[in-house]
Amino acid sequence: MKLGDVFSYAFSAIRLRKLRAGLTTLGVVIGIAAIVALLSISQGLQTTITDQLQSGFATDTLIVSPGSGGGIFSGVGGGIGSSGSDFSLVVTDTQVIDEIEGVVTSAAVIQEVGSVMSGDRTVTSLVVGVDFGVYSEIYGSTFVAESGEIPLNPDNDTVVVGKRVSDPWQNGTIVCSVDDAVEIVWANTTVRPPKNETQLVTVAAVLEEVGGLSLTGPSDSAVYIPISQAQSFFGTDECDRIVVKLASEDDSTIEAVSEAIEDAFSNQVSVTSATAVLDIISSVFSTIELFLAGIAAISLLVAGVGIMNIMIVSLMERTREIGILKALGMKSRTVLAIFISEAVIVGLLGAVFGVGLGWLLANVAARVFTGGGFAVAGEQGAVRGQFAITPVITPTVLLGALGFGIIVSVIFAIYPAWRASRLKPVEALRYE
Amino acid sequence: MVLATPVVETADLKKTYILGKVPVNALRGVNLKVEKGDFVAILGPSGSGKSTLLNMIGALDKPTEGKVFINGVDVSTLNDNQLADLRRSIGFVFQFFNLIPRLDAKGNVELPLSIAGLDKNERRKRAEELLETVGLKERMKHKPAELSGGERQRVAIARALANNPRFLLMDEPTGNIDSKTAKEIMGLVKRLNKDEGVTIIMITHDQHLATQAKKIVKMLDGSIIKEIDQL
Repeated sequence: MKLGDVFSYAFSAIRLRKLRAGLTTLGVVIGIAAIVALLSISQGLQTTITDQLQSGFATDTLIVSPGSGGGIFSGVGGGIGSSGSDFSLVVTDTQVIDEIEGVVTSAAVIQEVGSVMSGDRTVTSLVVGVDFGVYSEIYGSTFVAESGEIPLNPDNDTVVVGKRVSDPWQNGTIVCSVDDAVEIVWANTTVRPPKNETQLVTVAAVLEEVGGLSLTGPSDSAVYIPISQAQSFFGTDECDRIVVKLASEDDSTIEAVSEAIEDAFSNQVSVTSATAVLDIISSVFSTIELFLAGIAAISLLVAGVGIMNIMIVSLMERTREIGILKALGMKSRTVLAIFISEAVIVGLLGAVFGVGLGWLLANVAARVFTGGGFAVAGEQGAVRGQFAITPVITPTVLLGALGFGIIVSVIFAIYPAWRASRLKPVEALRYE
Repeated sequence: MVLATPVVETADLKKTYILGKVPVNALRGVNLKVEKGDFVAILGPSGSGKSTLLNMIGALDKPTEGKVFINGVDVSTLNDNQLADLRRSIGFVFQFFNLIPRLDAKGNVELPLSIAGLDKNERRKRAEELLETVGLKERMKHKPAELSGGERQRVAIARALANNPRFLLMDEPTGNIDSKTAKEIMGLVKRLNKDEGVTIIMITHDQHLATQAKKIVKMLDGSIIKEIDQL
């Protein structure tokens, strides 16, 4: 029997029981749709996050944070995954780093979570101490004033605020703008009992909106104070991290400078590059995607069991038919092929509709997320970003879903098909 | 004079079934020879072993002892695939027609041709010819459920003839249709034998029907008790 005839015969059997075939296919549709929807949303989310990070990142920078092995996450956000080392970086360590070949300049960063008070309004923000001149050299594209001017040699009571500190609700309700006097509040927990330290300052500039999640660079939700002021305000010389600007963004430069910095501090610091952070995020998402795909795959397995069940029922109903086919000279392997073809057709139809439905669901879900103003707590404390997730469907996901749908259907059809092919013609013909 | 190989030949054919724990000797040493162009009726009451014999001659089942030769080939030496190929040279006609309900008359006649690997045009042409031969040219787009018993059996005969079989093996071909239609069907069968030279082996319990054949083989309790030439 020709392959085309095998498929056409299998299709005629499926068409005979439209409702049953439809429901069996629906199982595959749901399984595939779940896989496609979850994967395309998580890939879309990854793309969004990566894009936003890249927009806030300078690829020619390195982040030096205290502690070995912890990487960037031990330096920022209050020591997530800190290695437990006693070593601290101090503000003057920038002098050591500036000596290293390949380094253009470096800036120490001291930060605490605090708030900005203006009249009766309070905005939670990060209070970040940096050298304005060096910092704007490093982040030439993001540490830029939208209004006012970033002073290169600022007075102690001068601050620069991020866009979300000036306009926290994005609705024109301005908490502070240039030349306004505001109070910076920081809860000092190093003393007993903790007490709020307050400082009256003047806003010299409001930054342009950075957008996205800024892991290391300028943040929309930060208020920047001069580094010397931060040292006295927070009562410490220890800095959270040192941001290093490199002469080049080559991998070789990144590697050489990273090693040189680690050597200079006897491996008591970790050096992280933007590329490394993106790699980490990418690997985190790979794990998440694998997990989500795994959950979705379970629903497809359930569909597979459904296929097997229905094929066994169909096998019993068609025992006599199989006997006739064998009496007419059909080989066992052709009977096997007919049953497998039925599963291939169900799997293919289910996969095609499943991909369509999954894509639809992903878009609906993305719209719901976007419309609902998806708030994300970022690494730097109170970072709020509005996400517009665009679901991404890669050819790998597309072909993978199609292939997976068919393969699962076929695997579960193998046993019923094998049983059908093994039927003895004389017994099958006698079957009522 | 060189004798042609018999179409079907059995040698001391025995078949024993185990029903529960009791062995049942369905065939107890059957020797049968059917030559090309023969029209043989195997006559016997139910339980005489005629259906078991049909299964052996049709290569649907294997004997416990003895041999079945179809076109001179010993069936017991064939594997599953070879048996399937052999069945294509046998035209089965069943009592309950055994048509595929979802295929129309033409589709049913095309089925063995499709199994044999013929392409669509050849199949269509051959099926139309055959349906014309059995007098169903006008009904070929009808599904079995839309056909009468006699028409269904004609479709079954057309299907059995599709691959130019060496012989037609008919199991109570008129057992499920009224007597008038049965007569027409027998007329068709006899014409096929006489005009087209188709070898026919018919199994029946109907004495009257058996008299239509050229030769009657009477069976009882798994043995042939009498062979009557009607020429």
